[in-house]
Amino acid sequence: MRSIVLVICSIVLVFAACRKDDPAPEPVGPGAPAPVSPVVFDLGEVPYPVLSTYNFFEGELADMMPVQGVLPFEPLNTLFTDYAHKKRFVWMPVGAKAQYAGDGNPLDFDDGSVLIKHFYYDRVMPADERKIIETRLLFRRNGQWEFADYVWNAEQTEALLDMTGATVPIDWLDEDNVLRHADYRIPTESECFTCHKNYDQIVPIGTKPMNLRNSFAFADGPMDQLAKWQSVGYLEANLPPNIVTPIRWDDETQDLQERVRAYVDINCAHCHSEGKHCDYRPIRYAFSETADPTNLGVCVEPTEDLGSLYTFIVTSGNVERSSMHYRMASDEEQIRMPLLGRSIAHDEAVQLVEDWINSLSPPCN
Amino acid sequence: MKKTGLLSIALLTAMIGAAQNSCTTAIPVGAGSYVVSAVDGPEIPDPICAQNGLGNTSASEWYSFTATGINTITVSTDLPGTQGVDTRVHIYSGQCGSLTCVGGDDDSGVGNNTSVASWNSITGTTYLIAFDNRWSSAGFHFSISESDPVNSMINFTGQAVSVSGSSLAVVDMDGDGLDDLVAVTSTNINIHHQLATGGFSSTNITTTTADHSASWSLAAGDLDDNGFRDLMYGSGSGVTFMIANEDGTIFHEVSPPEYIFTQRTNFIDINNDGILDAFACHDVEPNCYFMNDGNGNLTFIQGGIGDTPNGGNYGSLWVDYDNDGDADCFISKCRGAQQPSGINQLLQNNGGVFTDVAPLVGLADNTQTWSSAWGDFDNDGDMDVMVGASSFQNGGHQLMRNDGFTTFTNVTVGSGYDTFTGVGHEHVTYDFNNDGWLDIMGAGNTIMINNGNMTFTPSPVPAGIGPMGDLNNDGFWDIVNEGTIYMNNGNNNNYLKVRTIGTVSNRDGIGARVEVMTAQGNQIRDVRAGEGFRYMSSIGAHFGLGLTDAITEVIVRWPSGIVDHIMTPTINGTLTVVEGAHPVGIDEAEATELNLFPNPVQDILQVIAATDLSNAIVSVLDASGKLVVNSTLINGRVDVSKLTAGAYTITISKGKTVMVRKFTKQ
Repeated sequence: MRSIVLVICSIVLVFAACRKDDPAPEPVGPGAPAPVSPVVFDLGEVPYPVLSTYNFFEGELADMMPVQGVLPFEPLNTLFTDYAHKKRFVWMPVGAKAQYAGDGNPLDFDDGSVLIKHFYYDRVMPADERKIIETRLLFRRNGQWEFADYVWNAEQTEALLDMTGATVPIDWLDEDNVLRHADYRIPTESECFTCHKNYDQIVPIGTKPMNLRNSFAFADGPMDQLAKWQSVGYLEANLPPNIVTPIRWDDETQDLQERVRAYVDINCAHCHSEGKHCDYRPIRYAFSETADPTNLGVCVEPTEDLGSLYTFIVTSGNVERSSMHYRMASDEEQIRMPLLGRSIAHDEAVQLVEDWINSLSPPCN
Repeated sequence: MKKTGLLSIALLTAMIGAAQNSCTTAIPVGAGSYVVSAVDGPEIPDPICAQNGLGNTSASEWYSFTATGINTITVSTDLPGTQGVDTRVHIYSGQCGSLTCVGGDDDSGVGNNTSVASWNSITGTTYLIAFDNRWSSAGFHFSISESDPVNSMINFTGQAVSVSGSSLAVVDMDGDGLDDLVAVTSTNINIHHQLATGGFSSTNITTTTADHSASWSLAAGDLDDNGFRDLMYGSGSGVTFMIANEDGTIFHEVSPPEYIFTQRTNFIDINNDGILDAFACHDVEPNCYFMNDGNGNLTFIQGGIGDTPNGGNYGSLWVDYDNDGDADCFISKCRGAQQPSGINQLLQNNGGVFTDVAPLVGLADNTQTWSSAWGDFDNDGDMDVMVGASSFQNGGHQLMRNDGFTTFTNVTVGSGYDTFTGVGHEHVTYDFNNDGWLDIMGAGNTIMINNGNMTFTPSPVPAGIGPMGDLNNDGFWDIVNEGTIYMNNGNNNNYLKVRTIGTVSNRDGIGARVEVMTAQGNQIRDVRAGEGFRYMSSIGAHFGLGLTDAITEVIVRWPSGIVDHIMTPTINGTLTVVEGAHPVGIDEAEATELNLFPNPVQDILQVIAATDLSNAIVSVLDASGKLVVNSTLINGRVDVSKLTAGAYTITISKGKTVMVRKFTKQ
């Protein structure tokens, strides 16, 4: 039986700050020996040349089964990456603990914290098999985040550190048994930074309280993710009682504009917010800013000359004159948005934006 | 069914019937205001003259207008009664079934999405006016008015062209001196070769699938000096070169593996070894370039020409800003969050070492720009720049006057660029009306016409920006926008097009400075490959002369240091200058000691000279200026056995000595 049990740092903290070089922590609970994470993570040595060295996973590496201390998580809304599947994990060394920094701001992590993200496809042709493409790490050292990207070998037995980027053609069968194709992009370090940026600092994107205030099916049962992080000692217990969250963008029972707000927050706000790559364009897509439809581009003239067709970023009631829809539906590199991270359109999101624009009135003028 | 009424002094006159539902039943109208109750005639206007293509167009309403004089006629739906209706209009001459566009508009009205189309009429001509339902079938109001003919600063006439792929270049691909139209996909190069007799011959050349497509930019230049231009595709993952074979019928793909988030691409001889190199702006890292050894090897280098760690490099433009004979590099930069990567750079070329002098000369600005237009806007002999904004977040367009190479003075206020609100990726400068003053085109279907005093007047044009060149060889700049060629209607101004053929320098003469001297004043151009952001426009030096009818001298200063002087050239045509063919300063006594034997010749031309010419560079051009032999001189012998019979020009250069002779092949 597998279970995820972690060092409960909050208790240890009563005695002393947890540090990597501290002796083994005090036993937790009545008579139970403290479970020790077998992860290997020496801040003086990382990034390691191969993924297996970290010992984040047990059994076959490709099974992606986390060891003690490697906690799975999934943001409420997730970034579209050419329909790739993802598994995400967080690991922290003994004594490390994230702090709340605002509902819509990434948690403030300690040194040694690691965010781990696999990108893979199922039913990859011609062999109709799972193919893990890459495993991205964000880790914190000396108060700064750093990137490490591991590209999986053909045998799916190991992933090698590679920050030079690559384009991987991939064909797979989707849920409807339709053969799909994407030119999946493994990013270079500079591409990583283009999205994971706040002014000149590297930042995570998904690990915001508003994305984690929901239930996740952990191995030992479903639990609110923030509560889980707290229970394993990965998050300080000082959250405000009410965390304002978006809805799920793919919840078709919900209001169209609220769904659009949810979608653009996780897919677009990492460029279209103050301090980000494209903050010179007149849209602001962070969830906290999109209650004002002007920030979504409704009846806002584009500053890019895409042709006289596109009178506004969002032309109420007129999809064909909306540059936002044009960019989201396009596969062309110089047109498509998001700029990085996709080579094909996210059909369901394009449909959502289409429905939303058609629902808007009165006309812009 | 009531459909049309004359709105005359607030009085509605009913017109009965559905007559206006087709071209052949168009209702004659004169100046006045009219009501259209619905757009439901079943004819689809053909051709589509206004912007934005066919789309969902399925219906139209037709009227005719017969001109009684030479006037400017304006059809407008920008009236209170149109409120909220998105209209579009096409204006034709000719007969139903074979109509010719003379105008058209989609959205120029002040009222949102209303249409205003104007054209100059010819007495007695009947024009057809078609409103379509591209956007809406709802009714609207329109007016027709006549005014004295506006002497428009510039006029273009659109004509459809059927291209395969994106229309990215207007450039002479085959060395015949005429600009061609190039459209590409990742597997095809579609060339509309301009014919000497007018019109085009379209060729599709299939290529292997480019690893990197021309999604962000395209540049053209002759990397292998074979007289046929090669292409460079700039994509977000790297660059691909498409190398033309010996007759331009096959393109060989070369796709270097290096990652480049490519923006503007250029061809330029970076190390001035006479061999063309290639440059690529990198969006998120230091810039990259490919050094050409002349043997087909392109060596990737990153670093040395714009090294901001996180890039921000959008528009590279090679310009000799300090008139020292080598090409410097200006980088138009853009980046969010007020980062250093958003500050423009002027990389001064000092013998192949590039130093950012923008802070010293006043160009280190963080305007969000994707391209800037460099030209001598005031004809004082040095290159000025209009830094073109892509967003007004960090400031607007900036017109900067070059004052003695040490200072660029901001002269935006009052220039017309302080009030021009169009923002975009592309900013280029050409003399569109051939009046002798460089104009600027950017976003918003507007050409900023140079008034001759460092101020500009916006002139609306039907064309959006795209690749430019002379596609009907009339000496005026034409504009291509995807499937439409906007031919410049021209005027009475004179012009000269200078075509540069390098022999010691790169064959295209890219990087050469061309000067034109007239009694009324002088003008300068740099020969460039890669201006604006995305497109590739004609290579050469194109001068408008206004009503000046004589040029006293054309000077070409080549990257090699060779200088050619052409006295009193014929104007209103193309002057082809072969490097070294018009020298001064050569020791004439020495030059006369060079003889060719035999002449006429069959197989081997013997060069007899008093001075040692061993290993001199030998270039032979045919009558059309095409390079047919390029070799070094060994034992004084030049093998011309493979040449066809005819007249040739041979250039023999060694060090600073350049000798040019003519010979005949039998």
